[in-house]
Amino acid sequence: MKTFRPRDGRVGVGMGAAALLSLAVLAAGCGSSSSSTAEGTSTPSNISTAPPPTPVSCETKGGTLKILSAGDVDHIDPGEAYYSFSYEITRPTQRALLAPKGNSTELEPDLAASMPTVSKDGKTVTVTLKPGVRFSPPVNREVTSADVKYAIERGFATSVANGYAGAYFSVIEGAPKTPPQYPVPISGIETPGPHTIVFHLVRPEAVFVSALSLPLTAPVPEDYAKPFDDQAVSSYGLHQVASGPYMIKNNASGSINGVGYKPGQLIELVRNPNWNASTDRRLACADDVRFQEGYQDPTVMAKTILSGAADANGDTPPPPAELKSILSSSTQSKQLFFTPTGGSRYVALNTSKAPFDNLDVRKAVAYVLDRNAMRLTRGGPVDGAIATHFIDPSFGNQGFDQSGGTSFDPFPSPGFAGDVTKAKELMKAAGYANGMYTGPQVTMVADNTPPGSDTAKVIAADLAKIGIDAKIISVTHSTMYTKYCNVPKNEPNVCPNVGWLPDFHEPQTIIDPTFNGKNILPSNNSNWPLLNDPTLNAAMDRAEKTLDPQTRYEQWGKLDDQVAETAAAVPWLWENFPTLFSSRVVPALMVDNEGAPDVSYMSVK
Amino acid sequence: MSASAEPQAAPRHSLPEGGPAHGPAAFLALLLGVLGSSMSRYIARRVGWGIFLLFVVSALTFLIFYVFPSADPAALRAGRQANPQLIAQIRHALGLDDPLYEQYWIYLKGIFLHFNLGYSYQNNVSVTSQILTRLPVTISLTVGAFVVWIAIGIPLGILSAIRRHSTVDRSTMGLALLAISAPVYWLGLIVLLLFADDIGKVHLLPGAGSYVPITHDPTQWFLSLLMPWFVLAASFAAIYARMVRGNLIEVMGEDYIRTARAKGLSERRVILRHGVRAAITPVVTLAGLDLGILLGGAVLTETVFNIPGIGRYAYDSIVNSDLPAIQGTVLFGAFFIIVMNIVVDVLYAFLDPRVRY
Amino acid sequence: MALLEIEDLRVRFQTRDGVVRAVEGVSLSLDRGRTLGIVGESGSGKSVTALTVMGLSRLPNATVEGRVLFDGLDLLALPLEELALYRGKRIGMIFQDPMSSLHPLYKVGWQIVEAIRAHEDVSKSAARRRARDALAEVGIPNPSERLDSYPHELSGGMRQRVMIAMALVLDPDVLIADEPTTALDVTVQVQILDLVRRLQAERGAAVLLITHDLGVVAETADEVAVMYAGRVVELGRMETILGAPEHPYTWGLIESLPRLGDARGARLHPIAGQPPSLIHVPSGCPFHPRCPHAFAVCPEVEPPLLPSGPGHVVACHLAPAARRRIGLALRSAATGGSVG
Repeated sequence: MKTFRPRDGRVGVGMGAAALLSLAVLAAGCGSSSSSTAEGTSTPSNISTAPPPTPVSCETKGGTLKILSAGDVDHIDPGEAYYSFSYEITRPTQRALLAPKGNSTELEPDLAASMPTVSKDGKTVTVTLKPGVRFSPPVNREVTSADVKYAIERGFATSVANGYAGAYFSVIEGAPKTPPQYPVPISGIETPGPHTIVFHLVRPEAVFVSALSLPLTAPVPEDYAKPFDDQAVSSYGLHQVASGPYMIKNNASGSINGVGYKPGQLIELVRNPNWNASTDRRLACADDVRFQEGYQDPTVMAKTILSGAADANGDTPPPPAELKSILSSSTQSKQLFFTPTGGSRYVALNTSKAPFDNLDVRKAVAYVLDRNAMRLTRGGPVDGAIATHFIDPSFGNQGFDQSGGTSFDPFPSPGFAGDVTKAKELMKAAGYANGMYTGPQVTMVADNTPPGSDTAKVIAADLAKIGIDAKIISVTHSTMYTKYCNVPKNEPNVCPNVGWLPDFHEPQTIIDPTFNGKNILPSNNSNWPLLNDPTLNAAMDRAEKTLDPQTRYEQWGKLDDQVAETAAAVPWLWENFPTLFSSRVVPALMVDNEGAPDVSYMSVK
Repeated sequence: MSASAEPQAAPRHSLPEGGPAHGPAAFLALLLGVLGSSMSRYIARRVGWGIFLLFVVSALTFLIFYVFPSADPAALRAGRQANPQLIAQIRHALGLDDPLYEQYWIYLKGIFLHFNLGYSYQNNVSVTSQILTRLPVTISLTVGAFVVWIAIGIPLGILSAIRRHSTVDRSTMGLALLAISAPVYWLGLIVLLLFADDIGKVHLLPGAGSYVPITHDPTQWFLSLLMPWFVLAASFAAIYARMVRGNLIEVMGEDYIRTARAKGLSERRVILRHGVRAAITPVVTLAGLDLGILLGGAVLTETVFNIPGIGRYAYDSIVNSDLPAIQGTVLFGAFFIIVMNIVVDVLYAFLDPRVRY
Repeated sequence: MALLEIEDLRVRFQTRDGVVRAVEGVSLSLDRGRTLGIVGESGSGKSVTALTVMGLSRLPNATVEGRVLFDGLDLLALPLEELALYRGKRIGMIFQDPMSSLHPLYKVGWQIVEAIRAHEDVSKSAARRRARDALAEVGIPNPSERLDSYPHELSGGMRQRVMIAMALVLDPDVLIADEPTTALDVTVQVQILDLVRRLQAERGAAVLLITHDLGVVAETADEVAVMYAGRVVELGRMETILGAPEHPYTWGLIESLPRLGDARGARLHPIAGQPPSLIHVPSGCPFHPRCPHAFAVCPEVEPPLLPSGPGHVVACHLAPAARRRIGLALRSAATGGSVG
């Protein structure tokens, strides 16, 4: 998963390869959470999650697009970037092998000339590159397969430390088992010709092809980049070259630092003079794209976009009060789009120790939680639908339908408000005479800022209804992950503020890292419930190798339901992300990337 | 503040403008006298102490970062499902696996030998260069606001004191109370929604994110900072007005004011040369310290107006657990506070002859 | 007409607790070369009377009635700017506490120069020379160096000399000295009084001396006014007031003086009771609650100030004969004693 962009000007979900999830903690108390509670009680009728149509031509050519953000990208290096907002910059500047097809979650060739061919045994993946794709200055030369090979290799080096190379590319033969300090060649990546690249895998891997859409596969010229990568921490990011229609503005020596990249202030894209439009579906209408950072007040950000002084929100949604006012205007509401993030928020219960090692106790918790009240702490219905399992509606027939869609709810209650009676019955079944827990206090590590801290309070109050007294330890969002919930030996009984985003639209990326027992790690763990059910593990391992998409989606859909039934984690929100466009632009967004504005397709009217 | 006045001296001081025989020659003489005197020893001692304090501050920042729960930078960088070896390697590459004292030593060496505050974990950009590029921004904001609040606060304070209980006094003090209680963040938002040329009701001044360096376009620089200056200055102006008023009312009851009147001086001269001069010295002290604190970064103002100063950098770095950036901004902030402390102490000796070091 | 005539002066201050009647119908006159001492306890209105002459009691909460005629001109009727022409120039003033009365942040030379240049269009250097001469005249050693001293660098006596120099540097016709020696130790007191006397003799200025100390009056004054509760209760030549006083309050003041032969710190004979509140002044004779000789009429009727001898006026209901008898008895009891 990559990191959620912060919501309500606050913290994102997820484990945070990206450190920056929580840029705008400052905005806490600035009206969003308190006012949102009131608004959440009535469902705005006009929330639609239909994306704007993909533009097929530019309304006008030229002009400047301005995207506003509260914070900076997680990493400017495309090989390190692992954050929805960062992808708003990598997508128009870097060409990965594959890319989403317009405004959809489906993939199509980008740097690749056609979709990869996979051998029968699933262990050899061959990709042909388009000719005529050139690097931006100062490199200027044509992109070759060696550049893609090097891009992936460098991801394994400590100096680059890509956040997902281990998860998706260690299946390549010869991929480093222990991370090298600096990039080393990987024997399983062959480049028989300048436009052909072959990946040899140690086992079939169902999602490998989809992973070729990640920015790690965007070409990096070794001759140019190696000196930068051979530093303790690579500075290639500050000297990066582009393969897409845009490049981050640089000086003659190729440095973007202080030129097109001013951390926390500005990322400026200009046209890549070496881009050949005939090789690319992207429209690249504007001449100049400015990502203006530091808009930590979401109200100012939203109003600035509505005024036409900027064109879209990059990392922070408009606050609930603004959303309400926009939705009530017939003209402004046409500029606002809600996109399912593809991820879900859930409450993780530590299954490795009492009391949540007991299935009935966990089920009782799943029944007693008032998911509606929890959602109200984040803004109510505008924030998304209440989740009943883990694969969200944006997956459609890629797993969501297969798991029963919205009709599958293992722990139903009227209005999602919780069912105390049912919960107490289950507590009795677990051996607690009055249906009330009698054991020692349980621990909960939660965000120290709203809305996470508010959600935790609701959960603690619900747990008290079945006698569970929860002690809340409040820390920053990233501390919650890196010091507690990601570290099994420090893990509390309850992690109330966790969530997971897919890296691409394969249900495996939602279920496997989070619930497969083999993915429990001593640190940077993402199987927060520490769920280790041999039957489920085996089924997941099988599904990982299932190459046929339809069978695979069936398998994951079923696994989704089975995991939900363990109540190891209680899902409660399928989050939407609202993207607001100014009326002076033709909107375009990345459906697969939380609805982030897609500057490659936007144009000035 | 360790300015020690003689026992009988009330802590009341004055501005240089009112001084007798304060011509350039006299000033030079005073300065030369000072340099060979106990004052220079005093300054040397204070500078030494200041440097020691910077050590303490940097050491404390280190300790706080490690002792209190904060995010693990190596784990953050390693990303999803990183195996422990990768995290260990990154920790090593960032030097985070060395013993604490060694990390601290390396850090200090960097500062002293190369004026190098390290590189951001997040984007590998030099912290020194980030702070230095942001410094002019913060200075523009702070010094401008300082001028505004002095220019508003002091005259209003004087006017309120000499027209005590008048309409001017009552309305000034009422407004002051409002300005003190209004959070900068809220005030900034209100002002933006009223006057910003993008989101304001009246399109008057450049809004959030419009800052440009003075070297780039002085007019735009000035216009873009007008709102931030006034918003940042509002509460300070209010505090200073109240302080000047209180001090001046007290001073105007002093015997030497009666003497000044008995000499047949004009009331204007009595107030300005005798009253205000005595009432203003504590204000000078406070002003120096406030300036020092703000030079370390005016976080809220920089945030609401999206001004890329040191305050925002500090804030971002804390959020991102970016230790080198946190260290750098904390040290810079401490540096300004210490420097302004020394400046204020030295100024004291010039302002109040009773103060001796 | 005398140089300074105070006619039926009334000063009231509006305060939160009520109206303070600080001065209630005081009339005094002072001529060139003469010294008028005003004595009384604190709160008797003597300082307010002196300050009012200079317009220094012009506060927002004050009402001033009556007249202060200086050379025939009513100072009370002058606007502040015109009054400033008299302050310092024609009427000089020195105050009780020389530490707090000098500005702590300015050199003494500067403060004197400022006084000169406020009234005379002279160069800084000329003014500085005059300031130096003034310091020399009041007996300050090394006057040129002292010009550059700050007040805190001088002793109390030196500071008061500076105040006197500043008050006299413009040769005023009247010098108002408000408790000029109270804050000083005894030897310095004598020096300062000698100085005032000498300067007065040389220049022929009139001196209005406010003090609570009859000893100081005996040293300096030609005439003495005794004030109580904002009123003059007895007025006459110094010899009369000290030698044959007729008001019970004056008796009390004399009684409370330390006498020669008393051990230092020996018990004095203070007047019983507290000075009255000026907000709630006792009815009739305001002194009656503390007066050992009070009788039926005293609380009822305020006694008028009536002549009792040449240049001697007294406000008391006691019959003049009775007053003289009691005064005589007092004097004999004090035989061997001396005032001052």
